[in-house]
Formats: sequence, structure tokens, C-alpha cells
Amino acid sequence: MVMSASPNDDRTSGTGRYLQQSKIQAALDHAQDLGASYAEVRLMAITDSSVAIRDGKLERAIPGQDIGVTMRILADGAWGVHSTTDVLSLPGQVESTVKLAKAVAARRASKDRPVALAEVPILQNEVHWKPKKDVRNTDLDTKLHHLMTLHDSAAEDERIVSVTCGWHDEHLHTELMTSEGMNRTWSFQRSLINATVTGRDGGDVVSYRTRHGGEGGLEVIEACDLGELGRTAQIATLRLLKAERAPSGKLPLVADRDLTGVYIHEALGHPCEADLVAAGDSCLDGKLGQTIGNSIVTVVDDPTIRGGYGAHPIDDEGLDTREKCLIKNGVLTEYLNHRETAHHFGIAPNAGARAQDGLHHPLVRMSNTMIQGGTHNDLDELIEDISYGVYACGSRGGQVDTGRGSFQFAAQEAWLIENGELTKPLKDVSVSGLTLQILKDVDGLTQDARLAAPGFCGKGQTVPVGDGGPIMRISNALVG
Amino acid sequence: MKMLPNDAVERIGEGCKRIGDLCKQEGISQWEVVAFQSYGHQLDIEAGKISLAAGGGEGGYGIRVLEEGRFGYAYLVDASSATPAIQQALDVARASPAIEGFVLPSAQEAAPVDGLCDRRILDIGPEDLLEQADAVLSEVASLDKRAVVTGGGLGVGATASAILSSEGIESSGITTSHGLGVQVSIDADDELTSSYEGDSGRQLLADVPSCIANAVHWAQVTRGPIEVDSQPQDTPVLMTSEGFSPLFSMVVPTALRGDRLVRNESFWSGKEGTQVLASDLSLIDDGRMDGGKSASSRDGEGVPSRRQTLVENGRLVGSMWGTRDAAQQVAEGRIEHAETTGNAVRGGHQSPPGIGCSDFTMTSKNGGHSQDALLQEMGDGYIVHSVMGAHTANPTSGDFSVTTSTILRVEGGQILGPVKQAGLSGNLAKALSEGVRLGDDVRVQGSYSSGSMHLPDVLMLQGLRVNPA
Repeated sequence: MVMSASPNDDRTSGTGRYLQQSKIQAALDHAQDLGASYAEVRLMAITDSSVAIRDGKLERAIPGQDIGVTMRILADGAWGVHSTTDVLSLPGQVESTVKLAKAVAARRASKDRPVALAEVPILQNEVHWKPKKDVRNTDLDTKLHHLMTLHDSAAEDERIVSVTCGWHDEHLHTELMTSEGMNRTWSFQRSLINATVTGRDGGDVVSYRTRHGGEGGLEVIEACDLGELGRTAQIATLRLLKAERAPSGKLPLVADRDLTGVYIHEALGHPCEADLVAAGDSCLDGKLGQTIGNSIVTVVDDPTIRGGYGAHPIDDEGLDTREKCLIKNGVLTEYLNHRETAHHFGIAPNAGARAQDGLHHPLVRMSNTMIQGGTHNDLDELIEDISYGVYACGSRGGQVDTGRGSFQFAAQEAWLIENGELTKPLKDVSVSGLTLQILKDVDGLTQDARLAAPGFCGKGQTVPVGDGGPIMRISNALVG
Repeated sequence: MKMLPNDAVERIGEGCKRIGDLCKQEGISQWEVVAFQSYGHQLDIEAGKISLAAGGGEGGYGIRVLEEGRFGYAYLVDASSATPAIQQALDVARASPAIEGFVLPSAQEAAPVDGLCDRRILDIGPEDLLEQADAVLSEVASLDKRAVVTGGGLGVGATASAILSSEGIESSGITTSHGLGVQVSIDADDELTSSYEGDSGRQLLADVPSCIANAVHWAQVTRGPIEVDSQPQDTPVLMTSEGFSPLFSMVVPTALRGDRLVRNESFWSGKEGTQVLASDLSLIDDGRMDGGKSASSRDGEGVPSRRQTLVENGRLVGSMWGTRDAAQQVAEGRIEHAETTGNAVRGGHQSPPGIGCSDFTMTSKNGGHSQDALLQEMGDGYIVHSVMGAHTANPTSGDFSVTTSTILRVEGGQILGPVKQAGLSGNLAKALSEGVRLGDDVRVQGSYSSGSMHLPDVLMLQGLRVNPA
């Protein structure tokens, strides 16, 4: 059978689980009989819904169900992996996957260490982060109502030529069984709403996008003043129509919390991922315990922040998630890791394993990443002594070369700072720099750190993340 | 065949038929079922060694139903659970606004496109990939003892796909793919440089494709940065195919979507029939390119694919459409007449058709020039081989501001040396509007939007600003 395992058909009656535990246990045992030192089966079932409206009309509404399962086998110190949507076929793939792992192991050079896993608590339980309002029960009319609220407030100007609004919600159910006896099931939801606003004035055309979302059900959307979100996007779009090209050069830069979040995600978060460090692809290799930033900089990655778009109760190796403090007062204190890299570096595992879905194996990933607040009261205080600089807001995304330690992130809009005042609106602002330099150049943070707009992070696999922080000042940034 | 079950196409064809029969039983006037089932093997490489070997398969079905111009969509994994999915799609259709004149495409003959399935790939097993990985790692070490493949991987895949509709469209087939990408780093003398290069296609790649040597080359030539004037300057830039394609694919194909053009969402809106690019440049989308990475005999809704000139000698002469968007924009009065151009694309079974390009080319009636000739014409400027942040370019305005660590300073037509890091900004539409020269070596690159980019090196003499760090 090619495609099977409808959640309804395969779901074990009465247990709320999809995996037939006796068969999976037998498969795990079989893997060990064939020489595997570790085997796991992780299933993820996703029930989701996407809705889009364009110019106030329903463009598409797509309900969907996906299921995927990945078997990961460690044999002779190397990984073999099999992923499929055909859940029932999995036990039949044990032998070939063990063989695959052994084939990889046979190519290992004598200088290379075999893969091994750090020890972790072996748990058997279920953890369900219940939403206040289960988004699976939200009907299309309700979704359309919220989308229209966002749309209508964004569209109120003749120079706004198009408004596209989108909705995405998902219920994620994961089951993990391992040869060590781990047997955990967990679930949670995410909800997201967004808009892209296009403005035109004569030959000038600009666009602005806005998002709100987080871990949870309908209550996440209801907590947002969508009218205000739309109005803010509309005003920003019209402002961009009048904005000037940003100056280029090394300038003082102040970033709002959206951009601060992307900055810390790209510049620090990725180089802190222990799989990249172990691969020799991080500028932070060998720098644990060293001062790499200004003493005002403290950075955490915390998947337990409920409501954050990167929140999740258990990582994809079955560990309870926890806060990781990556930088404490400028000192690099912790890498994000998973069991393999924790063992590699001889450190405690900190539950940083995430997979995109049931068809992907876990990598070391961020979750909700934030710079902690500082001492400045507000934006005015941060810019009052800047004679010429840029205040940049909203994120269009970013990218990092973790090995070189160089990064780039782009703002949605910006203002010129002249003599301590915000003066002209600017567009097309991007900022680049070197991680190990710019963390030292952070010289001002407001007190009020919190997560900003939700985002998505790509590293071969895409996962939802939350980023944020306070408003941040960098004394010397390369602005493009 | 090691990779694909012998009856893979028949199985998904049967699934489509089963779902189609259910649609008929529901009395749905128009319906369409698509199915994809992919199989593959892949290897990950980290820190100079193979870190993981993986294999498997995935797939599913997408159902589009249409009743009196109202459409609904749903997707699922297992054809046996299609009944609730059909009901969901119907519920959505009934809640959707009607689009006057929107009907599913009718059946038309579609000639096959050659080179989309290489049966040699179907016989590749994990051991073959492991041998290829060994060859790649050996090649990198032999080219430069300091060079290490710090990341990347390789893989082969085969996808069986099928489409069946109430209008008589019934088509199925197999496509193959083989891809490889490596991040090569040289970490020596307190300096780390790196370069990512990749290659992929429908056909079996060489054991060690030329991109491997390129990755080593760029990790080498960016070592030992020179000092340059750090003032931002408007200057000619020669972007290699690898550096240019991510920006180009983010901005240009999107601007040529018919719906965006008529909705004023494109920087080329209102410029139909006028000069939008340098007068020697043409843009062509070729859905029927032999061996094209994104080519197919039919588009994502079963319409025969075609080759279409979108910009001819600088003049905007075409746009890309799918059935639904064409009907919608006509019904809403934004355009008098529009019809599908065979540009409906899907991201798999989970998405209904949208508009996108397939195999996209930019050519010049002046032909291509050698890199030496381009450098002579440039005089003073920069060569940029890769950029960070291409995905942050604005496809609505064409504006971009990105960063590069793979940049060489050129003076008097001679390469002086690498610059450690620089910003690169401008408006791509304006930069391509005059003073553009193309190289003579077209290479195929991936895309941020849809389709595949077939582009040479591109020298832009105006419209770009470089901001050295």
C-alpha cells in the first residue's frame, strides 16, 4: 500500500493514539536485535486550516490532514532514517534502515567519533497544552469575520490598491516511542493571522505585511485588536509611499522589538546551535564561557513561554522543554543542543530538538528567542543622544552565515534620526554585520522585553519561531 | 527499480478514480483530483563526513470541487478517507463567492516533454549515493587540503503524479530528480571562508559535478580580504548566475503574474506593451523545456504547458495566468479578456493551483559575453557571487538590500581581491532597465518563488549601490 494510515482508521481505538504500540514496540525490539543501539519512532498528525481573502472576498479555504512518521535508528554509531506517510509500512523498513545506518558507520574515518546520545530521563506520559478555545471548533464564518476586520481597517484609503489577509491554524499531535522505553504523547495548537497591504501612488508601489499569532487556539486571535493591527499596517504602507531611500554606511541603529528579535535570532541564535558548532560551521565554536557581547546583553531561548509562536511542551526527542540562557551579561553560557550534540560536547541536554513535521528528523532549533530588557525607559531615551542614525521597525526577514559569523536582516520601514528626533520616513533598510562585533556594540536596551510578531525559521526544515526583546540600540551598524 | 514501486502510478491513479467516483456520487458538477507520491534517498554531510542516511516516501491527494463558479479545496493522505474531505471542500465552495465564467479546464491533448524521467535514477540505491558522497568528499580534499564540506547533502527522488477531472483530463507520469549541495569551508590562519554551491536536475548528475570545484574555488578566492574605500558607491556589479538568481527569482517572475499586473501589485502594472527592460533583453517561460527542472507536459490543473515570451526585446508582451485567476480578474472587471497560459502551479497535494513560472530564461539579442569581456566593460566595480537576504527583497516594488561575503573588487577590468563583507542595494527592475550585459554560460538555479531560473552571469552597469563594511 502506498498511502495509508488515515488517522481515523489507524488510530488505536479509545487511546487517542495513532501508533499501534505493540507493533511499534516489536519494530524497536527488532532494530535492537539487528544491532541498533537506539531506535525511535515519532509520529506527527497535523489537522490544519488555511483561509485567505483578497480585497474582502474569500480567496480560498483549505482544511487538511497530514500524518507522517519517522523512524530513526542508531547502529554502530551512525544514523539511518526512514520517513513515510504510510504508517503501517514502517515495521517492514527496520532491517533496511539498520543496514543504512551501518553502511554510514562503515565509512567513518578512524579520527571521527561515533554518534552517541546523552542520557535523559525516560518518561511515559501524555502532555496536552489545552487551548482555551480549541481552534478545530472554529467555523469558517468566524475566521472570515476576523479576517474581514483586519482587511477593512487596512483598506481604508484609495491609495491602498490591494489587501490580502491570511489565516492559518493547526493542531499538532505527536507520539514518540523509543527503544529506551520512552513513550510520550503531546499536543498543542498554533494560530496565526496576517495581512499584506499594497499601496500605490502614481508609479510608486510599496507593500507592508503584518502578522499576529502564537501557540494556542482561537483565543490567540481574539486577544489581538485586529482593527488596530490593520490600521497600523495601512498607515505604514502610506508612509512607505513617501519614504526615502535609507542612507548607507556605518550608523547608530535603533531597532524595534520585531527587528531586535530577528537580529538576535540570526546573529546569535543560529551560531549557538550545537549541531552547527560541532560541524565546524559556527563562529561561536570554542567560545563557551567567553565574553562575546556587551554586559547588558542577556539572551534566552525559551519554548515554555506559552503563547509564543515557537512554544512547545516537549522537544522532538521526548525531553521536557526548558529555558536556555545563551548569553548571560555578555558571556556565552550555553549552546542549544539535542541528545547527540549534548553527548558530543559532554554537556547536559537542553531539549533543543525540533522537526518540521512527522516526515523530518529532528535538528537543533530555536523556539522563542529574546534579548532580556535593559535599563532605558523608552525609545525617546534611546535616541536622545543620537545625532544621525536610523530607527528601523518591523522585519522582512534575515539570514546568517554561521561559519563566517556574518548576518543580514531587513526592516519593513524606518525613520531617520537627526539630533535625537525621528524625522524622515525611510524604506529599504537592511542591516548587516558580524556577530562577534555587533553584540559588543549593543549599548542600550529598554526595560520592556517581550515577544514580537511570529516568524518562521528555515534550516533545511521550516519551523515556527517567536523572537523578540526590548527596543535595542547598536552604536555602529552597517546600514544598507 | 530500487526506489519506486512498479505500480506506483497505477496506485495513485486508482486513488484518483476512487475519489472521482465519490465526487460523482455526490452530484458535484465539476471536480478535479490530483495525487503525488514521492520516494527518495538522501544523505546529509556535516563536518567532512556523512552524518545521516535517510529514505522514505510521502504523498497525498488534493480535491478541487466547483459548483456554479464557487470552488472549494481539501487534501488528505489516504484515498479511503475521501468522503469527509469532499464534504469539507463542498462546504468551503458553498461559502465562497461565485466567479462568473470560472469552469475547470477542458481536456486537451498535451504532447510529452522529453527528459523529465531518467530511469537510471530509479535504480539508484543508498549504496550508490554513499559512493557519490565519498567521491565528493575526496574531490574537495584533493582540490584543497584545508577545505572541508561542513554541510550539505545529496539525494535522489522519484515522484509519481496523476490528475483526473470531471472534464476528461486524465494524465499521470513519473519524474525523477538528482540533487547535490555542499557548503565548503576553509578555516586556516585565523580566517574562515566558505561557499555553498549546488546542482540539481531531472537527469543523473555526474559523480562529482562542477559545482564542487566552484565551491572550493570561491572559498579560496575570498580569503585575504583587501581594504577598499568604505564609502557607499553607485557602481557596476557583475553578479554570477549563482548570486543573481535568488534575487531575480524573488522579484521578476512574481511581477509577471497576470493577476498581480492587473491588480496594480506589480512594478510593471500598467506598462503592458511598453519598454520595461533594456531593449536587448527578453524573458521567456518555457514549460516544455526538455529536461527542465520545472517543465511538464501539463500544468498544475492539467492544461498543456507552453513556451511563452513575456518580455521581448525589452517590451512587456505577456503575462502568466491560471484558469481561476483569469476568470476572476475578468469577472471583476480588471481586464477585458484573460485566459490560462498553462502557468498553474502547485506546491504539492496540499495546495490548489496558483500562478507561477516553470523554466524561466533571460536572453539578450546581443548574445553572451565571456567573463573577461564583461570585466573589461565594467572597468571598476565588483563581482558578487552570493548574497544573504535575497528573500527579503520586495517583489512588489523590486527594491532590495542584501549582504554579501562573496564579493571581489575589480579595477580597470582586473580582479584586485576579495572584500570581507558589503551591502548591495538597489531596485532590480530599474537596474535591468538599461546597461545590462549577459555572460555566455547559462546555469540552472533554484528559485524563491516557483520554477527554475536559467541565467548566465549578469553585468549591471547602473542602478546598484555597494556599501563595503
